[in-house]
Amino acid sequence: MSKTEEVFSFGDAAARNAALEEEIHGDTMVLNVGPSHPATHGVLRLRLELDGETIVKCDPVIGYLHRGEEKVAENFTYNQFIPYTDRLDYIGPIHNNVTYALAVERLAGIDVPERCQAIRVICCELARLLSHFIGLGCYGMDAGALTVFMYMFTDREKIYSLMEELCGARFTTNYTRIGGLQRDIPDGWLDHVLKVCDDVEKTNELCDKLLTRNRIFYDRCVGVAPLSKEDAISYGVSGPNARASGIAMDLRKDKPYLGYENYEFNVPVGTNGDSYDRWLVRVEEVRQSVRIIRQAVTKMPGGLWYNDKATKIFRPRKDKVLSSMEELIQNFMITTEGPELPVGEAFFEAENPKGRQAFFVVSKGGGVPWRLRIHGPSFSIISALPKILPGCLVQDVPVVLGSIDFVMGDCDR
Amino acid sequence: MATKILERKPLTLAERTYLPQIAAGLWVTFRKMFGRRVTLEYPEQKPPIPRGYRGVPTLVKDPNGREKCVSCQLCEFVCPPKAIRITPGEIPADSATAHVEKAPKDFELNMLRCIYCGLCEEACPERAIVLQNVYSLNAATREEVVLHKDKLYELGGTLPDKIMKWDKKKAAADKAAGGHH
Amino acid sequence: MDWMYLLIVLVKAVVVVALVMAVAGYAVVGERKIASWVQERPGPNRTTVPILGSIPVVGWWLRRMGFFQLWADGAKFFFKEEPTPAHVNKLYFLVAPVVAFVPAMAALSAVPFGQYVGSDGVAVPLAITNFDVGMLFVMAVSGISVFGIIMAGWASNSKYPYFSSIRASAQLISYELTIGLALLPVFMWTGGTLDLFSIVREQGGVVGGGVFGLPKWFICIMPVSALLYLVALFAESNRLPFDMAESETDLVGGFHTEYGAFKFGLFFVGEYAHMTLAAILFSVIFLGGWSIPFVSMDAMPVGLLGAVVSVGVVFVKTVILMSFIMLVRWTLPRFRYDQVMDLGWKILLPLAVVNLAVYAVILALVEG
Repeated sequence: MSKTEEVFSFGDAAARNAALEEEIHGDTMVLNVGPSHPATHGVLRLRLELDGETIVKCDPVIGYLHRGEEKVAENFTYNQFIPYTDRLDYIGPIHNNVTYALAVERLAGIDVPERCQAIRVICCELARLLSHFIGLGCYGMDAGALTVFMYMFTDREKIYSLMEELCGARFTTNYTRIGGLQRDIPDGWLDHVLKVCDDVEKTNELCDKLLTRNRIFYDRCVGVAPLSKEDAISYGVSGPNARASGIAMDLRKDKPYLGYENYEFNVPVGTNGDSYDRWLVRVEEVRQSVRIIRQAVTKMPGGLWYNDKATKIFRPRKDKVLSSMEELIQNFMITTEGPELPVGEAFFEAENPKGRQAFFVVSKGGGVPWRLRIHGPSFSIISALPKILPGCLVQDVPVVLGSIDFVMGDCDR
Repeated sequence: MATKILERKPLTLAERTYLPQIAAGLWVTFRKMFGRRVTLEYPEQKPPIPRGYRGVPTLVKDPNGREKCVSCQLCEFVCPPKAIRITPGEIPADSATAHVEKAPKDFELNMLRCIYCGLCEEACPERAIVLQNVYSLNAATREEVVLHKDKLYELGGTLPDKIMKWDKKKAAADKAAGGHH
Repeated sequence: MDWMYLLIVLVKAVVVVALVMAVAGYAVVGERKIASWVQERPGPNRTTVPILGSIPVVGWWLRRMGFFQLWADGAKFFFKEEPTPAHVNKLYFLVAPVVAFVPAMAALSAVPFGQYVGSDGVAVPLAITNFDVGMLFVMAVSGISVFGIIMAGWASNSKYPYFSSIRASAQLISYELTIGLALLPVFMWTGGTLDLFSIVREQGGVVGGGVFGLPKWFICIMPVSALLYLVALFAESNRLPFDMAESETDLVGGFHTEYGAFKFGLFFVGEYAHMTLAAILFSVIFLGGWSIPFVSMDAMPVGLLGAVVSVGVVFVKTVILMSFIMLVRWTLPRFRYDQVMDLGWKILLPLAVVNLAVYAVILALVEG
């Protein structure tokens, strides 16, 4: 049976499917790890071709969660779009708020005071803890250790309570604004953060002890679906997956933002790029995130949480709006026409827990963007699946998907 | 770049027999069985609601009993899912609060669309629409869950107001007119 | 035809099946409770019935323990709609759950649950029927349940159940060898008998006349055999870490994907009945059955009290072992298919053969 490698255009799904159908002549079986499946985190469809239990070909089908967020952005003002950024990488939602705000602030040419930066750093690292806990918990669950998942979710609940205290909502945080934050941190929040950090460290060590040297888990993960360094670079993989493959790239160190150059932390890098390395990298990153949060809490500067010079961009304080005419007019203009941003374009990339998330904003003046392009890290790693899955067994699929830790909200937008 | 190359030690002989790690894991789970339960047993135990919680949006009255909303429609403008629909109206000239001039004839808040983002509360120049502590809103029909003005004021109640801007405006206007009538 | 004898056996069978079904049913609730305690949550604690649940202290405690949850789940299985997809092979689809469930019950007929020492001092086994090839009968009959899984997977005419039944058939057949070889030293030690009653009778008293201070149970005399049998027991009842036949994360439901309502209930209870049978066998063969530690067989109570005490002791040991099996499920990750085969053929089987050889030598030295 000759397998000719024809190249089809990206949108020509019918031709791709037809070619795949032709090849199935009884040697291989097509198995659909369908959009609703306990192992795929979100709605990802994997069309696997199997020879016995070994995967011969893998074709991921995405788009089941496409909501047209980039198009929606063209009709909303910059501040109105922030609830939509919550729903992109919905595992650590506050990080998307921060990245978007930084991108638009770069376009506007304003910066934020140090207190705002420190608060944003704590929020980003809390989002990283949220995301890695789901990654590790679901990875353990997919390998069969169902209890690790529950222990990690208990700690996620604690971080959600922190978010609830900070901005009023556990999950759809909607916390940053262009030029600052929604509100200042409440009293006593920093002590709660430190307490949660202690709990998080304990749970991380517990799950490390339960699984990392357990031979059953070790055999499940070692050597499974290795992603080589060259492949990682060519597919555009970033974040923990790339670091596990040996690429020492972390945007917090390479292109520091939010004052990350003032914090001391290490960047874990793996050697093999297999699933075990991806586990180890995430476990170590949790430890480093806790380190960063502790430093930020101790060094929390005083001052304002917003840029008070950016009067056409950041809404004035409520008591001024209630008493003074000029602030009332500013409030009115910012609400109806949006923040007044200059003509131009800006690109900003940040180290999302899943990888490198980037926003590209094009503005033709006014308060509504002309074009907003979002790059999600999960898109790149899912595009690498046809390279790394063939050769694995069917039973490796949940382990690989768990180790990659993608989220479909980021991939499909 | 403070990179830390992760070491992957191969399994030791004891670890290769499966047993020590299995025993350690069983000990951990066995001890957890006698520990504390972390579940909050709703509805007997309610969760603690922190200050600043973003629950159901409500309309509030000021300490004088006047409804604060002046139907400026800024919240309707800013609401991302377009859950708010306001029909503006006039306050009749003979009322005690005639200087305020506007009040909503109808204020419709479709809770099926509301995403509890709080942008309406931020945009409101009167501090009339406030997201308070109600988190459990249920109904049997769609019509019940579209809240109108009366239900919103009932949920909102009265909140303290330090500024009382309309009273100040009225006092300033009276002084300027010199108490003419 | 001795109708009296037949009637007695029938009554005994009904009693045993009812009790074991109750234990297997409450094993379901017990598993959920143990799982939730391990995961720091309370577990099923709200289901209650009108009259019994209102008894002041006892009713409240039963509700919190999830006692009535089984009644709710069982009633649910009766009342749900029975789905039979159009693409299945109807006959085998319907027969498969029965074939998976009945052998566990049938194998109980040769298992002794206790002893009754009459006034003449002769101990009589409390079993439906105790005969001299008891263990062989139990192993043979409980092995038939593999066919239930295979039939379910094949008749469902769908890819995920097909995968599951292939894996289950390979796994179950491989680990039966280990069970057989791990049990042979036990039978050699008791003088070549396969009669379960005699095996338990051998285990009263203390090893080495009190020198080592251990009870004279086979788990203390031949621990490697016990370990091998325990591991193979997990594999035979499809329990984690060997549950790749029904692993939810990669096979959705495994062989019972297409099943619902009562047929699924039969599979479900069948798995727990197998687990109960395996636990009873382990406690009878290796944990001394009804022998209380450090009490020799002749010093056990006589008469009706003795019968009740012996059944109670077997029950306690079975419950402890089942709790252990459940705890293991919620602690360990799952093996992969090829690792299960590696473990069964390359590690456990040679170990069992070596173990057999060693005990043959020890026995020759002890007797010689």
